[in-house]
Amino acid sequence: MPELHDSLSQTLTALADPTRRAILARLSHGEASVTELAEPFEMSLPAVSKHLKVLEKAGLISRSREAQWRPCKLETAPLQAVDVWLGDYRKMWEERLDRLDAYLKTLKPTGELN
Amino acid sequence: MPLEQPASDAEIFTIERVFDASPELMWDVCTKAEHLGQWFGPPGTTVKVRTLDLKPGGVFLYGMEMPGGVTMWGKWVFREIDAPRSLAYVVSFCTEDGTPVRHPMMPLWPLEVLAVQEFFAEGGKTRMKSRSWPIHATAEERAVFTAGHASMQMGFSGAWMQLDAYLARMKG
Repeated sequence: MPELHDSLSQTLTALADPTRRAILARLSHGEASVTELAEPFEMSLPAVSKHLKVLEKAGLISRSREAQWRPCKLETAPLQAVDVWLGDYRKMWEERLDRLDAYLKTLKPTGELN
Repeated sequence: MPLEQPASDAEIFTIERVFDASPELMWDVCTKAEHLGQWFGPPGTTVKVRTLDLKPGGVFLYGMEMPGGVTMWGKWVFREIDAPRSLAYVVSFCTEDGTPVRHPMMPLWPLEVLAVQEFFAEGGKTRMKSRSWPIHATAEERAVFTAGHASMQMGFSGAWMQLDAYLARMKG
């Protein structure tokens, strides 16, 4: 089986875990600390930190070095790459219909004004 | 034989567009080999039509020759034909002799996808609506198909959840 592009593979693997997706969903509403992120889950802080490391490595979140509580922030760029990958089928169709439209224009009887 | 129905509406991939052509011309460009070869394949590819037998059970077997020289084969098996209003066919990737095969890049893509293409006259133009969904597919294959066309608007639920099985297989 051909390997997925490395960073895409890393993003998809990070997204494959429901806890990590829930963390990302929470961060889509704004920055949060590790303690805040751990709250809805029955998980220890180290367990949550482990998930955060995976997300950080995949570039899906960043953690501020400034503030004492080091808030986590959602990073959307890798998600856009996933969107491109998932969106290929629709894109393939959109492009095909673009070509059909262009082809139909070549079939217009000569002399017709557009 | 009636057309197989989708397991749920969420699985249906729908795309539609209005074209500046009559339904009759739309029908021709979508069902005749000399026309299909002109627009069907991605840029840089050459479409080779091996057979195009427009009747229920008939086959449209085509190859797309990529710039590198590799040819990807695909086929439609026509199910219902109602010129110039609607057309139903089953799409598969296949070998040169028409045997359905998995797409090398998409091992969990359903082997068979049913497509229903409709043409509606609309003020001198034609609205083409195409709907497709997997048939004879496993839950996993249906999930991959849905994920393949689902919008990011679904956020972190829906399609994402369904990616789990696929990803587990990729890692396994």
